[in-house]
Amino acid sequence: MINALFSLIPVLAGMAAVASIRNPRYPKLIAAAASAVGLALACLASYGSFSWDWFSIGGHAFAIDILVAPLNFMLLVLVMFIGTLVMIYSAGYMSAQSEQRRFYIELLAFEAAMALFSISGGFITLFIAWEFLSLTSYLLIGFWHNRDRATRAARKVLIIIFLGDLALLGSIVLFWNLFATLSFTAIMSSLSVSVPPGLYLAVMLLLIAIFTKSAQFPFHEWLIDAMEGPTPVSAYLHSSTMVKAGVFAAVLLFPIFQAAGVLYLISAFGIVTAVISTLAALREFHIKKVIAYSTVQELSIMLVAIGSGALLAAIYFFFVQTFYKSLLFFTSGNVMEATGRDYINEQYGLKSNRLIYLTTLAGVLSLAGFIPFSGFLSTEGISVALSKDVSEYLVMSLISFLTSVYIFRWFFYPSRSTQNHSVRSNYLSQPKSMVYPMALLALLTLAASAAFVYMPSFMAYGGSLPFLSGLSMGINIEDSIILSALVFAGAAVSYIAYARGTHIKLGAIGKIMYTNPAMTFAYGIIASFIYYVAEGADIFDSWLSSAFDYIGHFTMMSATTIRRVSAGDINLYALAVVSGIICLFAAMYFLVIV
Amino acid sequence: MLIRCNVFPGDRLTYALYAIAAAAAVLVFGNLAVRLAGGKKIQFTFNMLVLASLLSMFAYMLLTGASGVLLGTFSANPFSLLFASLFTVGLMLVNLIAFPYSDEYGDFAVISSFALAGMYVVASSTSLITIFLGLEMSVLPMVFIILFSTRGLESAAKLFIMAAISIAVLSFAIILAYGSTNSFALSYYGKATLLSFAALLFIASLGFEASIFPFNILVPDIYTGAPAYVTAMLGGINKKVGYVALIQVLVILFATSSTAFMVIAILSVLTMFYGNIVALMQRNTKRMLAYSSISQAGYMLIGIAVSGSSGIAATIFQIFSHLFIFIGMLAVIAVLESRNRSEVDDVIGLSGENRFAAFAMSVFMLSLIGLPMTTGFVGKFLLFMSAVNSGLLWLAIFGIINTAISVFYYARVIMAMYASKEGARPLALPLTVSAAIAVCLVITVLFGIFPAPIAGLANSAASFITSVG
Repeated sequence: MINALFSLIPVLAGMAAVASIRNPRYPKLIAAAASAVGLALACLASYGSFSWDWFSIGGHAFAIDILVAPLNFMLLVLVMFIGTLVMIYSAGYMSAQSEQRRFYIELLAFEAAMALFSISGGFITLFIAWEFLSLTSYLLIGFWHNRDRATRAARKVLIIIFLGDLALLGSIVLFWNLFATLSFTAIMSSLSVSVPPGLYLAVMLLLIAIFTKSAQFPFHEWLIDAMEGPTPVSAYLHSSTMVKAGVFAAVLLFPIFQAAGVLYLISAFGIVTAVISTLAALREFHIKKVIAYSTVQELSIMLVAIGSGALLAAIYFFFVQTFYKSLLFFTSGNVMEATGRDYINEQYGLKSNRLIYLTTLAGVLSLAGFIPFSGFLSTEGISVALSKDVSEYLVMSLISFLTSVYIFRWFFYPSRSTQNHSVRSNYLSQPKSMVYPMALLALLTLAASAAFVYMPSFMAYGGSLPFLSGLSMGINIEDSIILSALVFAGAAVSYIAYARGTHIKLGAIGKIMYTNPAMTFAYGIIASFIYYVAEGADIFDSWLSSAFDYIGHFTMMSATTIRRVSAGDINLYALAVVSGIICLFAAMYFLVIV
Repeated sequence: MLIRCNVFPGDRLTYALYAIAAAAAVLVFGNLAVRLAGGKKIQFTFNMLVLASLLSMFAYMLLTGASGVLLGTFSANPFSLLFASLFTVGLMLVNLIAFPYSDEYGDFAVISSFALAGMYVVASSTSLITIFLGLEMSVLPMVFIILFSTRGLESAAKLFIMAAISIAVLSFAIILAYGSTNSFALSYYGKATLLSFAALLFIASLGFEASIFPFNILVPDIYTGAPAYVTAMLGGINKKVGYVALIQVLVILFATSSTAFMVIAILSVLTMFYGNIVALMQRNTKRMLAYSSISQAGYMLIGIAVSGSSGIAATIFQIFSHLFIFIGMLAVIAVLESRNRSEVDDVIGLSGENRFAAFAMSVFMLSLIGLPMTTGFVGKFLLFMSAVNSGLLWLAIFGIINTAISVFYYARVIMAMYASKEGARPLALPLTVSAAIAVCLVITVLFGIFPAPIAGLANSAASFITSVG
């Protein structure tokens, strides 16, 4: 209810404090403290809804709606919690960077926008938060504005995200026209009575907005470009919070999509994105971009689950993915800092620091889906829900296998040992603020498994979102065995293909597999097949991005032509006016007389 | 929300209107007298004091809901009082910018107050003749202001010729209307073919004042040629007068003629595209803002095309929003211009030189894009909403597409301002300019977060004007 808004106050106050204090030592402390207080206040938020009449015009009243259901509460607390960890991590990661104040102001502004998003109970609140998310995301991706690549990436992101924002604005206008209200609960209760005919268009626009925000095909490319931003930003915005805004909206507005009958579209686009991003992840070497593709893939799996009606499984995945994804981004930051390299095939020595190594391993195992990590339960929950549809189930199984391949590949490359002492000491001298948040996240990755049991009753609590009550999710023994086998096989393939040159002892069986020409050949075929499919997906991908570029070129070209005409000749102006009048008369002639 | 009791019954209202007329006369002739006798500072103080007292009178009457007619010609109503207050505030802000940068401030004060009187006449007019008179009074002084301030004939001559063309067309429109109705009074006369042609001529002539495509083709030239404070007055206030006249003439005279409004809808789309697409290629900041204000004019036309009370209310809100944004932006430009920095590249690193100016400029531009929590968002939201509600979905879609185009050129300026520049030295703002920027900034954000008071005023103004016919 209204006290959920209190959690924004310390964050906004923190922004003001960072802006007004000039001493460079304080911003990181203030930012972390502000987020921590925000987290505490968020935990105290009580369930309920609240509406404030914003303004009214022409007989229409517009309201700011706040809704705190268990679903919203979960996201609010996650945002504040990960926010606090990211602020702490940034204290170490950004210590050498100039312009720290700007960084923390933008990050806190993002946190406030995300918190507002998580408790929005109507389209106006949603849109306000959504726009600020876009703006802060743009600013943070382009944070290193003197790097050409970063500004270019930020601009590209802005274009795609803004398309989504406009689609959202269009859909809001249509929703208003259909329902004369913009509150989610009011729209849903009106839908349960009757479905107005124009709903389809409004929902399609809303879907475009969701797909752009959650980086789904054909808009998925921006998330990869977004990796030009600082690593804490990637860990916060582009893995655990902002990109999940679209998925969150899809869950929150599930009855609307159901009524419009577009659930199959959500599933279809989800599957396509999942396949494309998995293949792309297999051939990517940039340490952050592999994780980014994996994020795209996870978001699409959540959407597939939502499209199939497996809401609880999607929400549980949504919940646990937050922990290990931000953890893996933190690892990426650590590895890049220690080695000074961006590509995994050039990185070594992750094992030098035991704590980082083990926490990363926990994250990787969870992402791949090993028992007993929460990642296993989330994958299994979705797998069981999808087992009704054979084709979907098969695709998901294949994706589980490939996920395991690429994430272990991502893990094995930097884990190779190194004789370089400076790299080793870099790992060992990582600031504590960059390591302890990872350890906490690793523990949570394990602990979040327990939430599997509580999720159904928690989501049904209070009953303010009736479509979330009475649902269940479960695991299936045979399916678990198949899934574990696939995941293990993926890890094994990855180990054999990518862990060469390490000092890991393979043992006798490993030696046979390792030295056997037939085995090497077979793996070579698998690897090259995967590579070519991925290459094809990549070509399509670049075609898509150049299509966006052409739209820009075309507008620029017509602009030059018009500018030439309007160059300052008074005769021309008079001519324009007179011809304008003649055109008006001609139009009038046809409209009125004829 | 507002206190609605008639504190001006009968004679008291007439006295109040006479008082306003007297104050306006004091403004014009007092300024002239001070110009002949006193110095720049005295002139500024006098001008601001009289403007402030006029503003307080208008605002008081507006908030108490006063309504009446003086001499059967000048009507005080929610619509005219709202715009009279807006124009007065606008001119005060422009004066704040003009004071440090104008060499001929005395002349500016005299002529601008004369133009303001013309604007009052337009806003309060009850007949076509007063609209004609008021428009001339408000446009022709601008020719002289440009002449004095630039010491160059070209821009002034262009404006003069184009104004003359528009006057000729306007008088022809009025004659056609008179021939059809036998009256100059602004009210609804029913449908007639002759009136439909008059509507087109009204659109063409007022289209010049309101910078509607293709009658606006001169606008960027004039805006770029004039100093920033003159541009602020032209784009911030003068063009809005054209809108006031357009709303009055179209909504009252042609209340149910859908043809005129269909023409407006088409012109709205053309104006938006013209302004936005050309703005993309501009390297000169003021020229870019000129095209941007043309595209904003296109958005305002959406509301007029909708023509119901909700559409007009949305247009009025958008006019309110753009007035302060435009003047605020030109205040920043004025500072840069005084250092001979007029290209878009010249704003690079502005945040390092003056944090406040760069921040304000960013907020203004974000508001033009339509960021929530600014007046720009509320205005656009209302415009699109009203278009869809009255079945003009395509118009709203074109509006949204144009918003997308506009992001490119605004974002370029914002990014340039926050880029770092080597050897940036602090850029000091004159006190009065800072005050103008601060007022515009506060209004843009405050009424973006709490739009209810302005929405209420726009609502009553719109329902008044739509009920006249």
